[in-house]
Amino acid sequence: MKWNQDKSLNLSIILVKVLFILIILLAICVPVMVHWYDITLPNGAGLVKGSIFVPLTICLYLTAILGEICLFHLGKLLNNIRKDIIFKPENCQHLRYISWCCLLVAIPFGIFGIWRFLGFFVAFAAIFFGIVLRVLKNVFVRAVELQEENDYTI
Amino acid sequence: MIIVNLDVMMAKRKISSGELAKRIEITPANLSILKTGKAKAIRFSTLEKLCEVLDCQPADILEYRKEDTNGQ
Repeated sequence: MKWNQDKSLNLSIILVKVLFILIILLAICVPVMVHWYDITLPNGAGLVKGSIFVPLTICLYLTAILGEICLFHLGKLLNNIRKDIIFKPENCQHLRYISWCCLLVAIPFGIFGIWRFLGFFVAFAAIFFGIVLRVLKNVFVRAVELQEENDYTI
Repeated sequence: MIIVNLDVMMAKRKISSGELAKRIEITPANLSILKTGKAKAIRFSTLEKLCEVLDCQPADILEYRKEDTNGQ
């Protein structure tokens, strides 16, 4: 089977949809998973000792909401690419939202880092992705300007 | 700012937009962009064809006008 751009794009759209549903399903199971994690690894490294059930549950729910927003915009972006709407201001807006979502994920995980230092690593990764996407957004904004200039060159 | 006086030259030569677009091989939509001054740039090849078809000089089509900073 020849792998082309359309198939790659369709696969990305399917993966985004699957992940969107998966996050909803996982969000339902969050209390059970956190309880299991709390029992299995009760003594993780952190400043505050004790149960992590409440902080981790809140953290994961906030992340799930941001993740869904992120996937929603990613889906919109991929749909626009499929329709050949690529270097348009609305795509920059989608990238901006995705970038902000990544950066905002760092807040709950940064706070969770007080209970488990592992949270700081996740927060760091989220900030890193957020910055990468922000740079990508800036490149896109410039590309939109160039595209517009090209469209209005007769 | 650069003013495009294409409509003036077209009126002088009595040529329609459709015919001009066809003869210089651009779409009527692009010619409209050029006529309304929305274009950001013009290719030398387009300008050359315009001058050829309209039998004029680039200065007959393009005009530089100093922008009024007072907004008047």
